[in-house]
Order: sequence, then structure tokens, then C-alpha cells
Amino acid sequence: MKAKTKRNFAIQTESLSKHYGELKAVDEVDLNIPKGCIYGLIGPNGAGKTTLIKMFTGSLAPSQGSVKILNGTPGSPEVSSLIGYMPQRVALYGGLTIEENLDQFGGLYGLKDEELSEQKEKVLDFVGLKHRRKSILSELSGGMKKRVSLAVSILHEPQLLLLDEPTVGVDPELKVEFWRNFKKLVQEGNTIVITTHYLAEAERCDEIGMLYEGKLILEDSPEMVMEKTGTDGLEEAFVNIVKEVG
Amino acid sequence: MGKVNRVGSITKRILKELLHDRRAMAMILVAPILAMTVFGVALGGEVTEVEVAIVNNDVERKINDAGREIRISEEYIEILEDKDSLDITFLNEKEEAIEKVEDGELWAAIVFPADFTESIIEEGSSGSIEMNADRSDPQVFSEIISSLEESLEEMLERLDGEIERPMEINVTEVYGEGAEFSDFLVPGVIAFAIFLLTTLLTLLAFTSEKVNGTLDRLLVSPATEFETVLAYSIAFGIIGAVQSIILVSYGIAAFDLIIEGSIFIAFLVVSLLAMTSQSMGILLSAAAKTQVQAVQMFPFIVLPTFLLSGIFWPIQALPSRIRPLSNVLPPTHAAEALRSVMIRGWGLLEVLPEILTIVLFYLIFVILATLSLKLSRK
Repeated sequence: MKAKTKRNFAIQTESLSKHYGELKAVDEVDLNIPKGCIYGLIGPNGAGKTTLIKMFTGSLAPSQGSVKILNGTPGSPEVSSLIGYMPQRVALYGGLTIEENLDQFGGLYGLKDEELSEQKEKVLDFVGLKHRRKSILSELSGGMKKRVSLAVSILHEPQLLLLDEPTVGVDPELKVEFWRNFKKLVQEGNTIVITTHYLAEAERCDEIGMLYEGKLILEDSPEMVMEKTGTDGLEEAFVNIVKEVG
Repeated sequence: MGKVNRVGSITKRILKELLHDRRAMAMILVAPILAMTVFGVALGGEVTEVEVAIVNNDVERKINDAGREIRISEEYIEILEDKDSLDITFLNEKEEAIEKVEDGELWAAIVFPADFTESIIEEGSSGSIEMNADRSDPQVFSEIISSLEESLEEMLERLDGEIERPMEINVTEVYGEGAEFSDFLVPGVIAFAIFLLTTLLTLLAFTSEKVNGTLDRLLVSPATEFETVLAYSIAFGIIGAVQSIILVSYGIAAFDLIIEGSIFIAFLVVSLLAMTSQSMGILLSAAAKTQVQAVQMFPFIVLPTFLLSGIFWPIQALPSRIRPLSNVLPPTHAAEALRSVMIRGWGLLEVLPEILTIVLFYLIFVILATLSLKLSRK
């Protein structure tokens, strides 16, 4: 029974905590994120979303508790090759072209020659930047850079995508395009964990986990959350729940 | 009045910002003191304790009819020994002394011939000292010569006019025949330039990776911390090799640089130094959260290297107390190896100790840089 449970979850945490001195950035979070869905980690700025994502990628070690990513340890080479990560900032090499950036990250994930060329074509097509492949990254608009960042994170066909505030600073048109892309990726069998403080946007997720001051205060589908709180939007629901909790 | 307020508010803001930035404060207060200390300690010194050997084959003679039998060389050596410019070892065999010069253990082998005293007291002839010297460091060489000449004058004064013969110093150059100051300087400048450029460039590049978030992205991929450090060192090793080819070629063309040994060993040394410097840059970047903080570290890297690496003047010119410090700076060993190859014409085997020292630094820095990256996850 237990083995079956493990197989069906992309991420499982138990009392996961990260403390910086007195500050509890993440406080005893128990999460079960199923495979094959878009899971939204939502909450205001400073709720602990990025810290949580960084513990999923392995770039931060937990102070307490445990986390399993695709049934493995975050940061281990096996797990690292299965996850794609899109940080909040663009985090790419501004002096290189789009294609050179893709080459760098393709190399890190062991893609080469034909496979790399194929994947580059595929992701550039996906984000609609085929015609700009030779452009220097720093010369692109903010939205285009975000698209390159997404392309880089899916280049190696990861099973799990961790997207940290992917739509911050993105215009409405591109936001719609991004969400269309996310849905497409999930239909292909991926799992996406997305953090956002735009609560209205989170209504597009299959499931959400609400974070507040480092604690997970609610985990359910957006519809159920709205139904339970008797609201017709996540923003209102969140405010009501926070009032209740604290 | 409005103008005064505006100026006042900006001035106040700048000073307040500084008060909040402890690093910048430390920089403003400590860096000038460091500069004064390092310059004061390192610059004031004269060349001292130059290792030489004396082989005294001189035979005793009466210097006048009534007098006792003496060896004039002994008087001379006594005066030499009083000087702190030379660190004298006494040997019995000329060959052994010359061998030590060839091995780089000594700067000169000074030999008093059997007829030294005789030829001085005999009318119509002149005394002579034979010296086999390493001239690869012209400042050290000239210090030896001036010590010998000064002591000669003192000796003549002591003997109070009993001897009027001139004395010659016959120099045979073991290394560095015709070497000029530029021949000594250029290898040092190469080491200095490569070390500083590479350290500072890596420090900035790596801090940028951190600030821009690309480092995070690298480390989220299957690439390990060690692989990242290794990749950086290979890249900078290649850059170092290209830089050294350009610098050495330019040195030959513009300064008529002496290249006695294999130029490829020189390239190897420079590449290794570049690799060592880049891993040091990564290590230092652990202490910088922003590019500004990285830049604030520059004087603390530049000053000690500039003054203590034996690059612009010999280590023998540093006070003996701080000489050991120069050994913990990688460019010291690179400059020494480059000079040995370029001026002394030494091969790989002879410069191996210096090369291995640089490799040791490299390994230590790579391990520490990797650990510092691992620690950043905590």
C-alpha cells in the first residue's frame, strides 16, 4: 500500500522546516503533491514559497523534517536530472545567444549532438522563439527572456517542473500563453509545481497549497477552497482563511 | 535655503548608507592601514642574507720583514661576515660550491685562490677573487658585488696602507649572463598579471553567477559543485595559456627577453597559476554577496601580492620576519619558476618543486572552493 502511495506522488514532505535563527521561513510543512497535475503553492510575499521550492531543488538543506522528490533525495544527480527549474529571476547568461544558453544547459543534462538539436528545436518552437535563436539574451525584452528561461527548464524533458513565480513581470497576453503551455506540458504527463502570489491566477491550478508565515494552512482544489469558504475567488478565500487561522 | 537642504540631505544619506554597510566601513578604515603597513614593511628593506659560499684556499704569508704570517683573505672574510647582506657558508671544495650555485641553493661561490695573499703583497701583481655567480636576479647580484667592494675598501683601511695593490673580482656567470633588470622583472610581471587578472575576474564572474541566479540553476542541474569548480579552472587554464603566449611573445619582441629554457614549461607554469588563481577567486566569492562586495576585496588581494611575491624586488629585500609570508602566495612560486626557466634555462625536473607547490595550492583551493559551494546550501 505504502509503495503505491509513493509512486503516485511527485513530492512528499514531512514536517519540512527551514529556520534562519529565530525566523521560521518554512514551518513543519506536510505536503503530498500528486503526479500529473499543476500544483500551486500560493501565499503572499515572504510566505516561504521560494524557500520551499529551493528545498525541493536541493539548493537549500532543510533544518528539520524530510522531503522526497520523485521518491528520491533532492540534489542527488538522479533526481536533479528529472526536474526542471525556472527561478524567479531570469538567471541566464546575458552575453550569450538564446541557442548558446540552451547549449550550456543541455550539456549539463547530458544532451548532445542530435538529441540536443532536436530538443532545442522542440523547446524553441514551444515558446515561439525559433526565429530569435541567434539573438543575444540581454538584448531581448523581459517577456522573451522569461520564455527562454521556460525553454531552458524543459529542455531535458523533466518529469517534474518547479516554476518559481514564472508569471511575475509578464504581460497579460504572455501570461495566457504561459498557462496554455503549462496545461500542454501536464497533458504530456508532466507534473508542475508553481509558486505565485497572484491568487486569481492560481485558480487555474488543479490543486493548491496555501502558505502563510511559513505554515501550510490549507491544501485542496481551488473549487473546493472557494466552496468551503463560500467565496467566488481565491483572493477572498485566502483573506477569510487567514482571518480564521490567525 | 532649499539648496542647502537638498545638498545636506544627499550628504546625510551617503553617510548613513555607509554606516549601514559594515564592509564598506571596514574597507575605508582598514585598507589604508593595510596599504601603509605592507608598503612600509616591504619597501623600506635592503637586500639581506643572500646565501653565498666561500672557499678559502689562500696560503699564509709574511706581509713585511718583521711581521707575522697572515692570510689577508681572513681579514677580508671577517669584514664580510659582519655585513648582514650576506649569509655565508664555508666550503672546502670549489666544485661543491659551484654545484650549489647551479642547483639554485646559493647565489654565488666566492673562491680565494692559494696565491691570494702572495699576489697582494708581491709588487707588480694584483690579488683576485674568483666568483661563480647566479645573475638571474640582478639586484641580488649587485648586492653581492657591492658587499665585496665595500669590504675590500674597509680591509685596505684596516691594513693601514701596508697594501696598495688593487684587487679584482673575476666573475663567471653560472646563470643570467647579460641579464638585465627587465629579464628579472618580466617573468614576475607575467605571474603578477595572470594571478591578479584571473583571481579578480573569477571573483567577479562567480559573484555574478550567484547574484544573477545562474549558479543556483547550475547547481540544481546534475552538475556537482566540484564539476563546476573544475570547469571554471579548465576554462581559466586555457585563458591563462593564451595570455602567457601573448605576454611572452610580446616580451621577446619588445624587451629582447632572455629565454634560456623551454618556453612550453613557462606556458605550463602560467596555466597552472591561472587555474590556481581562479579557484582562489571562487573561494573568495563565498564571502561576497554582491559585485560591490567583491570589488571591495580587491585591495586586500592586490597589495600583499604586489609587495610580497618577489615580483618587483627580490624576496631577500623583505625583512626576514615576513619572508615566510611570501611562500604562501602562489605567484611567488610561479615567478620563481618562470625566472628559473627563462633566465637559468632550467628544465622540468629542476622547477618541479615550484610547480608541485603551485599544484598543491591549486588542490587546496579547489577543495576549499568546492566546500564553500556545498556550504552555501546550508
